[in-house]
Amino acid sequence: MVPQPVHAIKTPEELLHRMTDRIRQSIELPEILNTTVDEMRRFLGTDRVKIYRFDDDGSGEVIAEAIKDERLPSLLGHRFPADDIPDHAREMFLNARQRTIVNVSKREIGISPLLCHTTQQPLKTNLWVRPVDSCHVEYLTAMGVRSSLVVPVLHRRQLWGLLVAHHRVPRRVSRKELEIVQLIADQVAVAISHASLLQLTRLQGQHEALINQVVSLLHSTSQDPLQKALDQTVMALQCAGGRLYIPGHGSKAKFQLATSGIQPELSKTSAQRRPILEQHPDWQAWLDAETPHQMVNRLWAVADITRTQLSWPLVSALMGQDIRGILVAKLTHRNRFLGYLSLFRQSIDFETVWAGRLDETDPRQRRPRQSFETWLEIKRDQPQPWAAREIGLTQDLTDQFSSVIYQIQLYHEVQTLNTDLEARVIQRTAELQRLNESLRQEIIERERTFQELQRARDSLKRLSHQNELILNSAGEGIYGIDTEGKTVFVNPAAAGLLGYTRDGLIGQFMHGLLNYSTADNTPRPWQQSPIFKTLTHGQIHHVTGDVFERQDKSSFPIEYVSTPIYENGNIIGAVVIFKDITERQIIEAMQDDFIAVVSHELRTPLTSIRAALGLLAQETLEIPGPKRQRMIEIAFSNTKRLVRLVNDILDVERIKLGTLNKKACNLANIMSQAADEMRAMAENHGIHLDVFPISTPLWAAPDRIIQTLTNLLSNAIKFSPPHTAVEMKAQRVDGDSLLLIEKQLNARGRDSLQAMLGISKTLLLISVKDQGPGIPDNKIEDIFGRFEQLDTSDIRRQGGTGLGLAICRNIVQQHDGKIWAQSTVGVGSTFYVTLPIQTEFSLER
Amino acid sequence: METKHILIIDDDADIREATQLCLELTGHWDVWKASNGPEGIAIAQSKAPDVILLDMMMPGMDGLAILQRLQDNPKTQQIPIIILTAKAQSHEQEYFGQLKVLSVITKPYDPMTISDQIFSALA
Repeated sequence: MVPQPVHAIKTPEELLHRMTDRIRQSIELPEILNTTVDEMRRFLGTDRVKIYRFDDDGSGEVIAEAIKDERLPSLLGHRFPADDIPDHAREMFLNARQRTIVNVSKREIGISPLLCHTTQQPLKTNLWVRPVDSCHVEYLTAMGVRSSLVVPVLHRRQLWGLLVAHHRVPRRVSRKELEIVQLIADQVAVAISHASLLQLTRLQGQHEALINQVVSLLHSTSQDPLQKALDQTVMALQCAGGRLYIPGHGSKAKFQLATSGIQPELSKTSAQRRPILEQHPDWQAWLDAETPHQMVNRLWAVADITRTQLSWPLVSALMGQDIRGILVAKLTHRNRFLGYLSLFRQSIDFETVWAGRLDETDPRQRRPRQSFETWLEIKRDQPQPWAAREIGLTQDLTDQFSSVIYQIQLYHEVQTLNTDLEARVIQRTAELQRLNESLRQEIIERERTFQELQRARDSLKRLSHQNELILNSAGEGIYGIDTEGKTVFVNPAAAGLLGYTRDGLIGQFMHGLLNYSTADNTPRPWQQSPIFKTLTHGQIHHVTGDVFERQDKSSFPIEYVSTPIYENGNIIGAVVIFKDITERQIIEAMQDDFIAVVSHELRTPLTSIRAALGLLAQETLEIPGPKRQRMIEIAFSNTKRLVRLVNDILDVERIKLGTLNKKACNLANIMSQAADEMRAMAENHGIHLDVFPISTPLWAAPDRIIQTLTNLLSNAIKFSPPHTAVEMKAQRVDGDSLLLIEKQLNARGRDSLQAMLGISKTLLLISVKDQGPGIPDNKIEDIFGRFEQLDTSDIRRQGGTGLGLAICRNIVQQHDGKIWAQSTVGVGSTFYVTLPIQTEFSLER
Repeated sequence: METKHILIIDDDADIREATQLCLELTGHWDVWKASNGPEGIAIAQSKAPDVILLDMMMPGMDGLAILQRLQDNPKTQQIPIIILTAKAQSHEQEYFGQLKVLSVITKPYDPMTISDQIFSALA
């Protein structure tokens, strides 16, 4: 420090002023104290002034000293044991603000309390003087002091230290001096307060600076901020090592460990892996058992681990690194446990300069100190306690660590959540895309199916329409029934044939409705019906001749086919296709009759031929000559008859089945040819043949027309009595001649003519008239049938076959004409043939 | 040997004549002939032949009616009747077989054996 200009102090006020000034000029306590002792010694003129400061344990140290010309040995930096100034003495200094003035020579001590001993009120009383304790005298004497002035210095109601003035020779202390010294002590107290405040401020500044440093490290973006912050913390707290342990969250997560400086080494386990201190089972047990620091929960400050309940493996691990003190802070934030911050301190060697050795073994222990010879005490392997300031600092740092770790963890959790979320979003998106694709495929598939369905539907509709058309246009009656025999569908032909409407048949039990019967009109039970068998056994039945009944109860023979309807292998019904075979049966019956008659008619001449020839062939038989001749004639005439018969039969069938070879011809020629053919026969019979032809063009098969006319002429000649006339006449029938002609005709003839006029406006009417016996009215139509005869024997006599008129009718019908007979029995018969006259256009074809 | 009398009722003259010659030459039959039903019935009644050879299909009274009349008449009902017909279809033959007749002979017949057929039918 810069020495101040020294000049004599004139007045106490000046002293105080100077001191105050100097105190104001400096903020550093040692400087103030040195100045104080210096000024005070000058002012008092004593040999020594010193300031003694107490420590917490009651011992003390001289921290400022001013000595005049080395008249007394320096005690600066020397420590004095607590017993040197016993408790009671210290108590008096504190409680009564007792000031003492000792005169060693007089062996008296002056005591001047500032406060009442009991009320602690300021006192106005003066100095009490009483004999001083001999020990005190010896003590001072040993120090070479004859006179001592002691004033306590208080700070925050604690005895901070003593302001002491020593003098080698006895010295009187005036009241004024005492007051001045008291003022000085008060000033010192003020300075101490200031300095203490300054110190506190400085410490707080350091504290905050450190925290800021650590915080900025923790929040820095550099690599491993926790490590750097830990390093800084270890360094700032003057620790040998430290570690930050953060357990992993969840079973798989890995713990984090940052270390700085020396580290405890746990002995390896069998797994050849060095265990982690904080994962050791004894660790948590220890923390549970150990009382946390009184100021801060969740913080354990252990100065000496040997004095804790820490288990041997842990102690050994720590001691192995010479670790003596440990400070553990449990990191928590918002009720979440985050880990541990541990700081390690090694043991330390303490050096103390003592003012005189305190010999514990000295029997004069209680006696005053004889020598104040300086000696150096060295204490080795001492634990370093954790100061409250350090604990506070640690706690603050711990909070910062916790906060940051919490944030990091939170960040990681959010990050993990985000990653997880992203992964899930990606996964979900992929799923949705897959789903979307499959949906798209499904839609396409459905679209396709729908189109196919539509096509199938259209095709079905077409088919159905076609089926409908087929059903509707079919000539056969068609109906469908279900398995119970109820009608499901009916075509118009079926309804028409049965005399119902289609709707009237739907849903009906057809078997009953139609009164299904056999050919002889015996009703068939439903279970014996072939249709029933079709439904039950799936057989196709073709039935001919059974009988259905119409709505009007009339019945008709039918032919039908019943076919099962299958669906998926099951019979779901049957279709019955039927037709009315009335006409066919009639035709068949007629054909049967025809065959029977033909057979009979052929056998008849054959019988004669065979009998005659059989007899003639027998040489053993003696047949008389005339008889023999007769047999030959019989055989011959019957052979001719057989030939005619065969020709006629063939004609009938040929004309009916075949097409005629029509061509343009003239009626007059045809009639002349026919008449010429029959003229010989007529002469044989004695018949006069009259022919009245007309010349008119005709589209016809001339040979067939001639055959017809000759047939009619032949009949007329055969049945006419001799010497009568047969007349063949042609007439044109049109508007002019119709009435005249109709007068010749009976009702049948007029009807036939009218029917023909409905087809053609102009007709030809050819008549062949005889004077024969006539034909009974009831036979007048039958004669046009085959083998229909009036009198067979007569006909045979005339050489007829019974087929002539049938052939005539066939030929005329093939020319779109009509043939009929009009007769009066006993008068004669007239056969009429009408033919349409073709138009010019038709003829040109 | 007593001469047997046979009556032929048939509308076909050639058949009547040829059959008569057959029966006379091969069986020495005494042959009577009728061309229609009434004539035949009359002969049957008056002359009582041993057997009647009856045609079925004839104009006017046909064979069935003649048969009925002969069998209804006590004078003729004992006379055996043999049908001689050109109706050769099976159902016709079957029908004739059911009638009360001695036999059915189908036209055309074998002229050399017809007499024997009649004799054996009568036996």
